[in-house]
This record gives sequence, structure tokens and C-alpha cells, in this order.
Amino acid sequence: MSILEKLLKIDRKIIFIVMAILVLFPLLKPLGLGVSSGPRAKAVFDAVDAIPPGEVLLISIDFDPASMPELYPMLVALMRHCFARDVKVLLCGLWITGAGLADKAVTEIPPEYGKKYGEDVVYLGWKAGVDAVILGMGENIKNVFPVDYYGHPLDSLPVMQEVTRLRDIPFMVAISAGTPGFSDWLLYAQSRYGMKVGAGVTAVSAADAYPYLQTGQLTGLLAGMKGAAEYEVLIQKNGYSKAYMPAVAAMDSQSLAHLVIIALVLIGNLAFFATRKRRR
Amino acid sequence: MRRTIPLAICLGMGVLMMVQFFVPHPASVAFYDLTTKWIRIVSAFALVLGVGSLILYHLDRLRRKRQGWGYSIVTMVALVVTAVIGLGWGVKPGSPLQEVLFKNMLVPLNASMFAILAFYMASAAYRAFRARTKEAALLLIAAFIVMLGMVPVGSAIWGRLPEVAEWILSVPNMAAKRAILFGVALGAIATSLKVILGIERGWLGGGKG
Repeated sequence: MSILEKLLKIDRKIIFIVMAILVLFPLLKPLGLGVSSGPRAKAVFDAVDAIPPGEVLLISIDFDPASMPELYPMLVALMRHCFARDVKVLLCGLWITGAGLADKAVTEIPPEYGKKYGEDVVYLGWKAGVDAVILGMGENIKNVFPVDYYGHPLDSLPVMQEVTRLRDIPFMVAISAGTPGFSDWLLYAQSRYGMKVGAGVTAVSAADAYPYLQTGQLTGLLAGMKGAAEYEVLIQKNGYSKAYMPAVAAMDSQSLAHLVIIALVLIGNLAFFATRKRRR
Repeated sequence: MRRTIPLAICLGMGVLMMVQFFVPHPASVAFYDLTTKWIRIVSAFALVLGVGSLILYHLDRLRRKRQGWGYSIVTMVALVVTAVIGLGWGVKPGSPLQEVLFKNMLVPLNASMFAILAFYMASAAYRAFRARTKEAALLLIAAFIVMLGMVPVGSAIWGRLPEVAEWILSVPNMAAKRAILFGVALGAIATSLKVILGIERGWLGGGKG
């Protein structure tokens, strides 16, 4: 078997081992490639930065543990940005599997900034119905969520004294891994109630968001782990956080993983065309 | 009669909801508020249908001993255990459903499933992604640029690579996406009208009216 034929039949175990080593290596020894922020992430940052202190940012947790590495750092960075500026955070979710993930963030992030549950952050939880939930929140949030995720009546929470419906919220970010997600918030909250919507999506679904960016329906976009890393860099550069940046750390691994895939496709193609030419 | 009444309700509500959208009168808003509550209640019944359908499907697989029937046992056991724990101990934070099933089982299992995708994608791309035609070659080049443009190593290779990737996403990608969106939207309007006007009756189910 010639070298070209061997290159055409690389055992997938070897591919798996190479990939595992190249993903793990930068996590143990960072390469420090550096992340610069793009205009899409900057637009989300600017929109959050423009919320006056004391007002509320709504974050919708529309993802599951599978997309947690890409999307959870966005949630954490957004919450840190808000708490550093005394902006209150209201969370809800359209994915039932995301319910527990938001609970983790609500438990861990507010104490970093001395913020308290009920006064600075409220987590509404998940309700079935997607479009009916968003439309209902547009009329009266308490009709859809009479109690929060932890069972407290909304009337007993100070944050909810200032927020009755979606129109009372200056900006929202839908962090979504698919459907339901940002497109549902655009369809109902943005078009019907004129809400300003930003999105955080997985890299694979970023292409779906571009038409809405150009029309101005989406204020900004955090695309994949890079989007999360850009936001982490922005809040750190502006002095809102000094915490560890998990998405920035993971970008080195993602860079190498992309290079491996490109190299493998190139090797596969070169070997394929060379062996075909020889056979002819 | 069994078909006429649902068809009449569908026509009446379809027309009412369309008119309601353009009328800001308080009575219209109150009607809209009421109907969104109805939608939420009706949506909850979808769960009952879903669970019923899941049970019937897997019981049939088990009865006929179809290939992979062992997995049906796992599904059924998981369904019963989750339901018993959820109904018995509740779903609030700190409950066994949240602590044991969600945090310690679902989260790691779900994350692991997604994580191994990177390995399969690398292997599948190596085997299947061949530039056999001009179109495939173009797709391959565009994919390489976007892949590199989305990670820091891209700008380390060439400073303007992220801009080229952004152009691919903002211009050719968006043109194609927008065409698809228009097609989907027109299709959705046509289907909705057919349902409202009673031309499309598949949603009524089989059997004689």
C-alpha cells in the first residue's frame, strides 16, 4: 500500500486520539492566541451598557447541557456586566432542560457582586407553550409566572414591582441553541411589543441569525464560543469583571480543533485525487 | 357534524385573531389576553399526548421484539423513574429530580453526547468531504474560510481573514437564507389560510365525520 493509499485510509482511532490531544493540550497549557471583539458582540455590549442602573435586562435561557460550553459563558458574562453596573436581571426559559442551568448561574454569580435574589435578580423558570408564554409576558408577566422558579410569589419580589410586562424592559438577550429560541422572541416580543432583542447562539446556528441582523431586528449577536469570548474580553477591558474567562481559555482548543479538521479534509482530498489520477 | 363544528371554530377563531391583531381597542386586547391563556392550557395537553404516544410506540417495539428493543426498556424505565421521583418528591431546586437526575445524570450525559460530536465530525469530514465538483470545491473553500475566521488562529494566519468570513456570512449566506425564509413564510401563510378556510383538513384526523 502506497503512502497516498495509507493517507486515504487513516484509522478513525488515530483521528480521535489526535483530536483529543489537540483539544486537551491548550486547556492545560494555553497558547494565548488572544481574542479581539467584533462589531456584533460590541453591539450587544453597548445595548446592555446603555441600560440605566436600576432597570432590568431580560435573559432567556433557551439551551440545554449539550450547548452549555458555548452558551453558558455568555450568560455568566452578561450577568456580570449587569451586576457591575447595578442593572437588574430577570431570567426565564423556553427550554425545560435549561431550567437547572439558569439556577446554577443565579446561585453563583450575584454573590460575586454582593447582589441579592429578589432585589437584583429574579429567575422565573420555565413554562410550556413558547409563543403563548411570550405573548402572555407581553400582556402581564404575572399571568404567565404567578410564582418564580423557587416558588416565591412575584408580588413579594422587589424587582417585579418595577416590571409588569415586556414593554417595561429596555433590552433582552435570548441565549438559544435552536428552536424555540431567539427567532420566537423576534416573532412575538420584538414585532408585537417592539422589544429590543439581542441573541447569543451556537456557532452552527449563527448563519441563521444574519438576516435579522441586517434588518435591525436583532440588535447584536454573540456567535458561538467566540462570541462568548469576545463578551468576556469586553467586560474585562471595561473594568466590569476580573474573573476567569472560560470561553477565552477554550478558544485555543477550538482553534486547534478547526485546524485539525481542515488538515484532515485537505489530506483526504489530496490523497483521493492523487490515487484517482494514478489509477487512470 | 363531528367535522363541521371544529371547522367552524377554526374559521371563526382564525378570522377573529387576524382582525384582533390590527384593532387596539381594550375589548380586543382583553380577548387576546384570554385566548393566550387558552393556548397555554391547550399546550399543556400536548404533554399528555406526547407521553401517551411514547409509551404506545415503545410497548409495540417490546411486544414485537424489534431490533434494539432493549433500548425501549431503558426508555420506559427512565420515564417511570423520572415520573415517580418528580411526582413523589417535587421538582423544586434541591429535590432528587434536580440534584440526582438533572445535575448528576442529564447534564453530564447530554454534554458528553455533544462533546463526542467533534470527534465524529473530524472523522466524517475526512472521509466524506471531497471536492468532486466546482460547487463542492467552492463550498469547501468557503467552509475553510469561515472555520478559520471564527477562531483566533484565523487572524493569526492573516489579519483580514475574519473580515472575509464575515463577508461570506453577511452576503452570499444571507442571500440564500433570506430566499429560504421568504419561501418558508409564504408557505406558512398559504398553509394557514388553507387550514382556516377548511381546505386543509389533515389536522381533523382520520375517520368519517
